[in-house]
Amino acid sequence: MLLLDSIARFARLMPDKPAIITATEMLTYSDLHRRVCERADRLKAEGLREGQPYSFPATQDADFIVIYLAVYLCRAFYPLHTTGTTGASKSVIISDEAWTANAENLIDRFGFTPDLLFIICGPLSHLGSLSKIHPTLMTGGTLYIMDSLKDLNAFFKPFKDPPLPSIKGRKTFNRFASFLVPSSIRMLLQFAREELAAVAHRIAFIETGAAPIAQHDMELLCKVLPHSRLFNTYASTETGIVCSYEFSRYGCRPGVVGKPMKHSSVRIGEDGRVICAGATLMTGYVDNPEATARVLVDGEVHTADLGFIDDDGMLHLLGRDDDIINTGGYKVNPIEVEDAVSACPLVRDCICVPAPHPVLGTAPKLLYVPAPDCEVKPRAIAEFLKARLESYKIPLFYESVEAIRCTFNGKPDRKAYRVKG
Amino acid sequence: MANDKMKERIIELLSAALPLVDLESDFLFSELDSLGVTTILMLLSEEYGIVLDAKDATPRNLKNIDAIVRMVEGKLRR
Repeated sequence: MLLLDSIARFARLMPDKPAIITATEMLTYSDLHRRVCERADRLKAEGLREGQPYSFPATQDADFIVIYLAVYLCRAFYPLHTTGTTGASKSVIISDEAWTANAENLIDRFGFTPDLLFIICGPLSHLGSLSKIHPTLMTGGTLYIMDSLKDLNAFFKPFKDPPLPSIKGRKTFNRFASFLVPSSIRMLLQFAREELAAVAHRIAFIETGAAPIAQHDMELLCKVLPHSRLFNTYASTETGIVCSYEFSRYGCRPGVVGKPMKHSSVRIGEDGRVICAGATLMTGYVDNPEATARVLVDGEVHTADLGFIDDDGMLHLLGRDDDIINTGGYKVNPIEVEDAVSACPLVRDCICVPAPHPVLGTAPKLLYVPAPDCEVKPRAIAEFLKARLESYKIPLFYESVEAIRCTFNGKPDRKAYRVKG
Repeated sequence: MANDKMKERIIELLSAALPLVDLESDFLFSELDSLGVTTILMLLSEEYGIVLDAKDATPRNLKNIDAIVRMVEGKLRR
């Protein structure tokens, strides 16, 4: 893995340089290299072989990155889970070469440098945050890993002088960057705007993606961070990181995700869907050749995103050509939610639809018909789903209705509800 | 003793917006994720016309409903 070669090189050239910082721990490049090699030896001894998937909990700490890198050092891979282009949950194989191509796309377009501290505040189990490990460590930069943005103040801790207690004998960092989904940007703009403005001159770039960002939020972010480069990116687990658009330079235009990066290309299919090609694409889905064949056709990934390419070669997104609900960057298949609700004795019938949400943009809403003689509280349905679904899939809004509208063949009429909202 | 009417209204607001959160808990902050914290700040700002920001979203202020009521009362007094 090219990344592991880079880490080994930096461990020799600048062994004491911080590679990973968390609130409680700091790993230098030397520490990181040693721990990855030790862990890889253990994984091999435990029987991990080349080409195998190796799943483990995606904790927001240095140990996760150590294991992740050790897995690739064994020439195995860490499967990423996705709802993806077909709607059902699957595990995606991303090759060493694809990770390198993703990293080179990002390095080429954004400007990763050895003096950069990249703040990771999203889940490392998702492409958006996981993909930033590679360009940061390949260029000798430093990762700062947060649990989440639950404590917005924690985002600003590495900017302080002195920074975190975990950063031993280290002077202040001066060049920062982060990947923030649109809902996180909205949170920071709404509740930490002054703090953000106070560190504006030290933020080199911010990348957003995974969900549409509102024009108002783009414009406000440009005002609060007038010196930073601000990008809207087009990426998915299946395609890798394909396009990016610097809206701080070329204007705040909703839906515009820019031109393909150096290892990528895009075209629009006859049905209006975006089709991607290049070195960043997934290898396929784990143990699912049928699903792989539906999405990966002749070396191109056929997405469910609708779009067009303008005369300047910029890709514009127009939404999805399926029923997947994008909530704050997470994809929710409404059928999975309805199937889970169908086992609930309190509900006779239901449909899960997208509804506007002030922070997330869109959130799942459940319209339900109560079972006969049942007085149903939404909380009871949510509690029932808690044990069956990941938390972001559980509807945030509930409405009791008398019946669910169906199409002529008896399926829930999603289009009618989508138009109504 | 927290203002009972305000407490009732805040429980009503939050239980509609955060169906998974146990609002009776004495460890409310630990039950919340980033969306939960933001939702509370947004709803209370709108409902009571007060300015809340990230500095208000402390484990102490969001420990339980009574602590939230005290935070709102404090903001209204200013």
